[in-house]
Amino acid sequence: MTDDLILDVQGVTKSYDGLEVLKGIGFGLRKGETKVLIGPSGSGKSTLLRCINYLTRPDAGRIFLSGEEVREGNIDAMRARMGFVFQDFNLFSHLTVLDNVRICQIKVSGIDRETATQRAQQELARVGLGDKAAAYPAELSGGQQQRVSIARALAMDPDVLLFDEPTSALDPELTNEVIRVMQQLARDGMTMVVVTHEMSFARQAADELIFMENGHIVEQGPPGNLFSHAASERTRAFLNVIAEHG
Amino acid sequence: MDIYDVLIRDFPFLLKGLGVAIVLLAALLVIGFVLGMSICLLQLYGPKTRLLQWPLLLYERVFRGVPIIIMLFIFYYGISGVYDISAFAAAILAMGLRSAAYQSQIFRSAFQSVPAGQMMAARAMGMSKAKAIRHIIFPQAARHAIGPWTNEFSSEIKETSLAYVIGVVELTRQAHYIITSTQGNVLIVFAVVALLYFVLNRAGNSLLYAYERKLAVPGFEK
Ligand SMILES: Nc1ncnc2c1ncn2[C@@H]1O[C@H](COP(=O)(O)OP(=O)(O)O)[C@@H](O)[C@H]1O
Ligand SMILES: [Mg+2]
Repeated sequence: MTDDLILDVQGVTKSYDGLEVLKGIGFGLRKGETKVLIGPSGSGKSTLLRCINYLTRPDAGRIFLSGEEVREGNIDAMRARMGFVFQDFNLFSHLTVLDNVRICQIKVSGIDRETATQRAQQELARVGLGDKAAAYPAELSGGQQQRVSIARALAMDPDVLLFDEPTSALDPELTNEVIRVMQQLARDGMTMVVVTHEMSFARQAADELIFMENGHIVEQGPPGNLFSHAASERTRAFLNVIAEHG
Repeated sequence: MDIYDVLIRDFPFLLKGLGVAIVLLAALLVIGFVLGMSICLLQLYGPKTRLLQWPLLLYERVFRGVPIIIMLFIFYYGISGVYDISAFAAAILAMGLRSAAYQSQIFRSAFQSVPAGQMMAARAMGMSKAKAIRHIIFPQAARHAIGPWTNEFSSEIKETSLAYVIGVVELTRQAHYIITSTQGNVLIVFAVVALLYFVLNRAGNSLLYAYERKLAVPGFEK
């Protein structure tokens, strides 16, 4: 039934000490689709992304990646096929940019060093950092670090990329260089779930917008529809706030 | 014979004592390292059951809480009652086990100073916990640990001299032997001994500092 879905999230729930943060979330993602997840702070967006790759273990619900169920038992292999981009980059600070991008190819996927190096250089070029291979993370700007972390995820050849507010830790003038990379990925047919408040990105790159509040999906649909006539009052109010505050 | 002739004649004994001190030091540091690292890894990444964590904590408290001289007596006289143990072996054991308690603390705070996001990112990329510890967390923790570990190294050099209370013929005891064969030139003998300890200490520290510089990550301030 779901074989053409790259990512299929079904009925995910999660509570933290009695507080129900996710109340039965389901959505699917076809190959090449980009879905943008929006919602007020605390609505459960990060928790949802982390449940998808079991960084946080869901209480109930099922996740399928390209038809294969994500379980505790196969989690390392499944994670290797899902890229995750963090708000605060989390580059490995003791490794050069090149090593950041190739270490998991070598240590997780078992790819030989030479192939991994080539692939790393290719992905670094793709995010516009071909000349930074020898640098250490602490020598880069935030925008550059985030682009390296995108390259690091891409080098694993993932089925899907998950972004958790990738530009929220960046100064406004550094946001665009990251957004441009993500827009290019969307055009190249990467399959992505993106939590962001960058509405320009949502408008241009998202096939669908998902509005979350209080652990529920309130509404989802193509960005054009949601921006012009969202069905829910809550969605309209939220989009207005976002529009005002950029 | 004046004191300088005695010193020159007996200098090989001092060097021999220094050699014993170095072997004792190396052995206790190795025991302390292996055991201390194991304790640290079990505390941080092992099962959180009290059955495991409680004894580890007790071990650490006891070995850090009892003076080393008492430990030396307990290990030497305690063990030699049931098993024929040499004073040297007893000293290695007592001091190694104690160093493990200190080293486990050094390693634990070094591991804990690696930001949680590093483990999270490594796991998110598909690394197992063991691989993440080995390739991502350990190399960063090592950089945090090396400074405090250098302190531990220095204080253990000095404490090897205490092994003489149970009869280990290390540098300090060799010095005593020499003193009994000279007439009261205590100060000069101990000055030479102090110099030997000092040189050993500086040599070790220089090596460790060089290693620290080698590990330093550009642009990264601790
Ligand atoms: N590890 C945790 N322990 C306890 N509560 C948590 C934890 N992580 C998230 N929460 C709570 O879950 C809710 C949703 O958080 P989150 O998923 O981070 O929301 P969002 O990303 O949409 O801002 C918040 O109320 C938050 O305080
Ligand atoms: Mg969040």
